[in-house]
Amino acid sequence: MTAVTATEVSDEERGNSQMRPAGGGRFRPSPIGWLARAVIWAGVAYLVLVVPLGQSPTDVQQFTRGVCYAVVALSLNVMLGYVGQISLGHQAFVGVGAFTSAYMVTTQGQSFWMAVFVAAAVGGAQALVLGAVSLRIRGLYFALITLSYGLVAQDNIFEIQELTGGGAGQQAPKPQWFETEWRYYYLCLAFLAIVLYVDWRMMRTKSGRALLALRENPRVASTFGINVRLATLFAFVVSGVFAGLAGALIAHNDTQVSVDVWNFNLALVFVIMTVVGGLRSRWGLVIGGAFFALLPYLIEKIPGFDELLADIPWVPRVLTPEIAPLVIGPLLLLINLIQFPGGIGQQLRPITRWLGGHRFDIHDKGPKEVQITDVRA
Amino acid sequence: MLDVLRARADWIVGLALAVALAVLLIATGEEKALVIGTTTGSAYGMVALGLVLVYKSSGVFNFAQGEFGTVALYALYMLDFEVNYWLALLGAVVVAAMMGFLTERIVVRPLFEAPRVILLVATAGVALLAIGVQIWFGDAQGKPIAKGFDRVDRVKVFGVQVPDQQLWLIAMLAVLAIVLGLFFTRTNLGLAIVGASQEPTATELVGISVRRLSSFVWVVAAVLGAFAALIAVPNGGSFAPGIMTTSFLIPAFTAAVLGGMTSLPGAFLGGVLIGIVQSVATTAPLFEDIPGTKETLVVFVVLLVVLVIRPQGLLGKGSA
Amino acid sequence: MSVLEANHVSIRFGGVQACREVSMAVGEFEIVGVIGPNGAGKTTLFNMITGFFAPDAGTIAYKGRDVTSMAVHDRAALGLGRTFQNVGLVKGATVAENLVTAQHLQADYGTVSGMLGSRPSIATERRLRAKADALAGVLGLGDLIDTQVQGLPYGTLKRVEIATVLATDPDVLLLDEPSSGMGPEEAHQLGDTLLDLRKTFGLSIVMIEHHVPLVVRVCDYVYCLDFGQLLTEGPPLDVRNHPQVVAAYLGEDPDPAAVALEHQLDSLVEGN
Repeated sequence: MTAVTATEVSDEERGNSQMRPAGGGRFRPSPIGWLARAVIWAGVAYLVLVVPLGQSPTDVQQFTRGVCYAVVALSLNVMLGYVGQISLGHQAFVGVGAFTSAYMVTTQGQSFWMAVFVAAAVGGAQALVLGAVSLRIRGLYFALITLSYGLVAQDNIFEIQELTGGGAGQQAPKPQWFETEWRYYYLCLAFLAIVLYVDWRMMRTKSGRALLALRENPRVASTFGINVRLATLFAFVVSGVFAGLAGALIAHNDTQVSVDVWNFNLALVFVIMTVVGGLRSRWGLVIGGAFFALLPYLIEKIPGFDELLADIPWVPRVLTPEIAPLVIGPLLLLINLIQFPGGIGQQLRPITRWLGGHRFDIHDKGPKEVQITDVRA
Repeated sequence: MLDVLRARADWIVGLALAVALAVLLIATGEEKALVIGTTTGSAYGMVALGLVLVYKSSGVFNFAQGEFGTVALYALYMLDFEVNYWLALLGAVVVAAMMGFLTERIVVRPLFEAPRVILLVATAGVALLAIGVQIWFGDAQGKPIAKGFDRVDRVKVFGVQVPDQQLWLIAMLAVLAIVLGLFFTRTNLGLAIVGASQEPTATELVGISVRRLSSFVWVVAAVLGAFAALIAVPNGGSFAPGIMTTSFLIPAFTAAVLGGMTSLPGAFLGGVLIGIVQSVATTAPLFEDIPGTKETLVVFVVLLVVLVIRPQGLLGKGSA
Repeated sequence: MSVLEANHVSIRFGGVQACREVSMAVGEFEIVGVIGPNGAGKTTLFNMITGFFAPDAGTIAYKGRDVTSMAVHDRAALGLGRTFQNVGLVKGATVAENLVTAQHLQADYGTVSGMLGSRPSIATERRLRAKADALAGVLGLGDLIDTQVQGLPYGTLKRVEIATVLATDPDVLLLDEPSSGMGPEEAHQLGDTLLDLRKTFGLSIVMIEHHVPLVVRVCDYVYCLDFGQLLTEGPPLDVRNHPQVVAAYLGEDPDPAAVALEHQLDSLVEGN
C-alpha cells in the first residue's frame, strides 16, 4: 500500500483522472465530430421513424411489439438492474395490465387513455401488495416468491372470466386517431420515450441513487439515511407501473388478449432479454427488448432459414418463429453471461458514449463490476 | 443425550409434525387427502433433495432442477418406441444425468465467482432452453406416457384405493432416502460433499477438489429429479413440456425452504408436508370462491408464510 | 451534557458474550477513543449504537432521546454518521456519486417530482453536487472526484469515506479504525484533519483506533474494552499507562472464539 497524501496522487490515479477529466477540462467534440454524430443520430431516427412507414401493417404490428417489449425490459431492469432483485413473475404484471386495459375499454366502455392509466395503476398496486407482504424477503427467495406469484396468476387470476373473457379472450380495440398500425406504432414510441425519460430522471435523482447504493450494500445505504425496505418497495412499484403500461400497449396492439400466452416461458424470455440487453444500460435494454420481440419476424425474413435446419438429422422439424425465442434466447443468455456479462449495452457503450458527445474510447466498459453481497441462507 | 436430540432436531420436529398431521387427518376422516398428499409430496421431496444438494455444494438456487425430470420423461417417451420399457427407463435416467453434468460443466463452473442471482438467471435459462427444445422436438401438446405396469392394480390403504404405482413411488423413495442417508454419513464421497458444503476451504486443504465434487453433486441432483419425474408423472397418464417446472419445482422449493434450504431430511419431510397440505387445502372452503385450480395458490401461500414468519425454515436450525 | 450515551448495553451471540454492561458517554465537541484488542467488542458496540444490532439489555440515548430500538436510517437522519472497518462506500460509483448519494436526506424534492425532472429538483441536484465538490476539496480529493471508487488505494478510500459520512450532515461521527491502511505520516495528517473537522463542522467524534499515538494526540477521553467489558476509562495518557491495559495489549492472547465471532459479525454487517 503506497502512502497517498492530499497533494500526491499515484500514477494509476493520474491515468484514471486523465481518462475522465474532472470539472474544467471536459472533452468537447470538434465541429466535424458533431457533424459525424448528427449523421449517425439521423440514421437511427430514420430507421426508427421513417422505415416503418413503408412496411406492411402486419410488419408494423411486429415493430410495435418490439417497442412494447422495450418497455418491459426497462421495467424489469428497475428491479434486476438497479435493485438487484430478480422478478420471475413479470409476465403476471404485464398480463394483468393487458387484461385490465382490455377490460376497461371493452366491458366498462372507458377511453383508451383511462384504460392505460388504470392498467399502469393496477400494475403498481399489485407490486405494492406483493412487495409489502414480502418486504423482508430478498435475493434468491424473492425470486422464488415472484415465480410462485406468476404461476398463481396463471392458474387463478387469469381464470377470472369477467376480466379475461374466458377462452375467447378479451377484445382490445385501438384508440381513436390511432386505429392504423402506423399511428399506433408512433403512439407506443411516445410512451417508450416517456418511460425512458422517467427512468433517466430517476437515476439522476435521490431515489435512483438510493437504489444503486442499496443494491451494492444495503447496510452502507442505511447509514446514508436511506430506508432500504421502502426504497426497494418503491422500485418494485415503479417496475409494476411500467409493466402494467407495457401490458396495456401490447393488448391494444394485438387488439385481442388471450389467456394462454402469459406463462412461465414468457417470464423467462422477459428476464433473458433484459440480461442480454444489458442491465443498467437504456440503449441495451431497448435493443434487447426489441430484438426478442422481433426474433420470430427476423427468422421469417431470413431466406432459407427453415430449409437450413430441415436437413439436419435428429432435428424433427423446422424451428418455427414461435419457438425460436425459447431456444435461441437461452443460448444467447448463456453465451452472454459467460462471455459478455454486461450484455449488448456494454458492448455498445463506446459508441453510445460517443453519440452522447464524449470521446470515443473503445476500452470503455463502464463502471467496474463490484462483488455484490448476496443473500445466502 | 440432549445434544443428540438437538442434533436430530430437524428430524424430530418434522416427524412430529407429520405424525400429528396424519393423526389429525385420519381423525377427521380425510384419509384420502392424506394418502394422495403423501404420494405427490414424496415426489416434491425428491426434487427438493436435489435442490438442497446443489444449494449446499454451490450455493445456487437451481431453477433447472425440474427440467432434469421433464427431459428424462421425454427420453423415456422417445426410447419407449425403440426398446424395452425398463431399458428405456434406464436410458432416461442416463440422459438426465448427462444433462446435470453438462449444466455444471458449461454453465455453473464458468460462473463460479459470479453473483448468485446471476447463477439463478443462468439456471433459469437452462430450464427455458430445455422447454424450448422439448417444444421444438416434440410439440406444445401433452403426450401420453406408458406406466411401469400394463395393468394398474389398486390397493387399499386406510380404506382408500391407491394405484400400485404410487405405492412403488413411496417404496422407492423410502429406499432412496435410506441410501442417501447412508451415503452422506458412511461413505468418503458423501462425507466429502457434506464437508465441501460446510467448509469449502478446509475441504480443499485436506486435498479434496470441491469443483470435482460439484459436478458429481449436479449429476446426483439430476438423477433425483429424473426419478421423481419418472415415478410420479406417469400416474397422470400424460405430460407436457415444462411440466416438472410448472407443477413440481415451486412445491419442491417450498419444501426445501421448509427445511431451511440445508437439511436433507427436512427437505424431504417438507415435501410430504406440502403434498398433504396441498391436497387438504385445495378442497378447503377458504379457497372456494377462487377460480381455477388451487394447487399453486396453496403452495404460494405456504411459501410466503414460511418466508415471512420463519425465514430459516420450519425444520432448519436456529441461525440459518 | 453528553450527546451520545450507552447505558449498560449487553449483547450475546450464541455462547459468546460480545458486550457486557458497557457504558460510555460522549460530550459535545468531544473526541472519544475506543481501544482494545481484537475481538474486544468495539465494533459490536458501534453496531448497537448505530442500530445494526439491538442490545439484549441496556439503552442507547442520543441527544437526550432513547434510540435503542430505532432503525439505522432514522438514526442517520438524527445526525449519527458512521464509517466501516472495511470501507463503507458504493464501490461501483464515483467519488462524486458517493458524496451526492450520502446527501439523500438533504435532497428536499419529492420522489415523483424528481422523476419528472421538475425545476426545483434540478436546482437541488446542482446544490448537492456543489457540496460534494466542496467536501472533496476539504479532504484533498478534488482530483479524484470523477474516479470510480473501486480500485482506489485503501488509505484514499478511508478519506473518501470520511468525506462521504460528512456529506450526511452528522453531529456525531463514529469512525471505525480510520487510520487503518495508512502509514505513520498519513495517520498523523489524519489527526490534523479530524481536529480541523471538529472545529469546522462542530462535530463530536467517537473513533475505534489501534494507532495509539493518534489516539493520544486527538482524543479527549478514552475507553478501553477487553473481552466485551469496559476495562478502564479516562484521559488518554492515563489509560495508556494503566497496567491492565498494558497487560491486555501485551499479555494473554484474546479469546479466539471472540475474535472469530467479531470477524463474522463484521462481515455480516459490512457484507464483505
